[in-house]
Amino acid sequence: MSALSLRRPTRRAQAGKAVAVALLLVFTLFPAYWMLVSAFDAKAGLQTSFVPAEPTLDHFRFVLTEGGFDVFLRNSAIVALATVLVSALLALLASVAVARFRFRFRTQILLMVLVVQMVPLEALVIPLFVQVRNLQLLETLLGLVIVYVALALPFGIWMLRGFVAAVPVELEEAAYIDGASWGRMFRSVLLPLVAPGLVATSIFSFITAWNEFLFAMTLLGGATEHYTVAIGLRSFFGQFSNQWGAIMAASTIITVPVMIFFIMVQRKLAAGLTSGAVKG
Amino acid sequence: MASTLQAPERGGGTTSSPRSGGGPGRSWVARTRPWLLLAPGLLVLAVLMLWPLVRVVLFSLQDYGLREIVSGEPNWIGLGNYTEVLTSSQLWAVVLPNTVGFAVIAVTATVAFGTAVAVLLASLGTVWRTIVSSCIMAAWAMPAVTGTYVWVWIFDADRGVFNHVLQALGLQDAPVNWFTDRWSFYAIVLLNIVHHGFPFVAVTVLAALLGVPRELLEAAEMDGAGPWRRFFSIIVPQLRQVFAVVVIMSTIWDFKVFAQVFLMPGGAGTNREVLNLGVWSYVESFGQNRYGFGSAIAVLLTVMLLVVTAVYVRTILKEDEL
Repeated sequence: MSALSLRRPTRRAQAGKAVAVALLLVFTLFPAYWMLVSAFDAKAGLQTSFVPAEPTLDHFRFVLTEGGFDVFLRNSAIVALATVLVSALLALLASVAVARFRFRFRTQILLMVLVVQMVPLEALVIPLFVQVRNLQLLETLLGLVIVYVALALPFGIWMLRGFVAAVPVELEEAAYIDGASWGRMFRSVLLPLVAPGLVATSIFSFITAWNEFLFAMTLLGGATEHYTVAIGLRSFFGQFSNQWGAIMAASTIITVPVMIFFIMVQRKLAAGLTSGAVKG
Repeated sequence: MASTLQAPERGGGTTSSPRSGGGPGRSWVARTRPWLLLAPGLLVLAVLMLWPLVRVVLFSLQDYGLREIVSGEPNWIGLGNYTEVLTSSQLWAVVLPNTVGFAVIAVTATVAFGTAVAVLLASLGTVWRTIVSSCIMAAWAMPAVTGTYVWVWIFDADRGVFNHVLQALGLQDAPVNWFTDRWSFYAIVLLNIVHHGFPFVAVTVLAALLGVPRELLEAAEMDGAGPWRRFFSIIVPQLRQVFAVVVIMSTIWDFKVFAQVFLMPGGAGTNREVLNLGVWSYVESFGQNRYGFGSAIAVLLTVMLLVVTAVYVRTILKEDEL
């Protein structure tokens, strides 16, 4: 029985629901479907058909061998992994502080974390461009990682703090009674229990770094050899014609792993979002 | 009320109140420990978020171009950039309507559609609910860049499937370039944003919907309330806070749409009819090397978002302390 309507549904209502679900699925999946069809169709860009007219892997072969996309993938992997490692560590430490301790300015710090999440990246891009330039890190992956850590951090703190707060204090106290130091308690009690939240947060910051476009474009400038996937895609756009088959194949390579991650962590993600947004 | 939204992990309302000390006793170590834990994160946020925010305001008061970047010499011009932004016809005729008008329509569409999907999902059996929500996640997971390219490809003037289908159906004789006209350009952006943004609304509202006590709905139905009445008189008030959150989050996202506009044909500044605040700021800064002027636009955008954020913070703080 459904959650909202309490009467036994009529046959007409059932049919209406089926149509609604079908339309929803078409709308939701069509872009991904069209991306795949174009990526696997030898004639992509010449004609459009709803199934690949001439199925082929040529577009994938092209982007990975001649298109330089393998380099972009490596760059993105390096940047995203470095971002995850550093931001997860910093966010974990900070979230333990705000979830487990009462101290002066705690509320103010939480408010600041909340507010910096709302700052539009367009406002930060000009000063950060100048700052990264002054550090002589323009057109380097390190410069990008530093910025991404900052972008991923507020959300990480906000999300992890809900998970840390959910660990019963009694478990911690039991560890102290058994003679454990704070550091020992952190490693043996807190860390294992927060691990699922840490995984969800890490995946989220991985995706942030993987997808980010504005800073990658601005900070990497003309250093094509350091391009990440999000901006590397643009190399398949020609002055007169676009290589749509290659663009869609590369888009597929970027998108599919993210989709798999999302579907894997969907429960945790929704829980973290709502608990972080409303309470925690 | 907020209990409907709690993460399943935090069982039984254990809002384990943060304590003053870490370990047993209140030593100096215990008192400084939170600050030691916070220090690295706060340092990063201060240097890379707060200081740049201050600097963008400082830049906006200068004629800050390439020369100033290289020499490092400030060239203060007071509120000159703001005067230019606020008196420009570009702002009032094009950029502000594109930004604010679009955000209002996009938020309304995203929240209405997301809520409708949540209601639909709530009425499905467990198996179908899992299948459909996984598919919805796929739409959410599509990165802004690739998502935008797919929509551009679908609406491509010469070979896009949209024109193709319209012609096959005899609705149009020749292919149309949907990207040149401001309205059809933003209609495509709207489609892109709703497609990408409704899953967050649907998933959040669904979580809350499933927490609405059945007794309330049953009682209302006994009293003769129809489905619409039940929805607006019981469910909507119960979900007030959740709606506040999704509306404000969507507002924030839809105000600063960047890649979805920038990557569309003409969106990177060549078609000035489709500029929004974010793209305008970028184009003036990095295209024209007018970083001061671009900063003033960015400050304007930030102020508008901070107003929204203030509402957001107030909404949350009403129910619960941090």
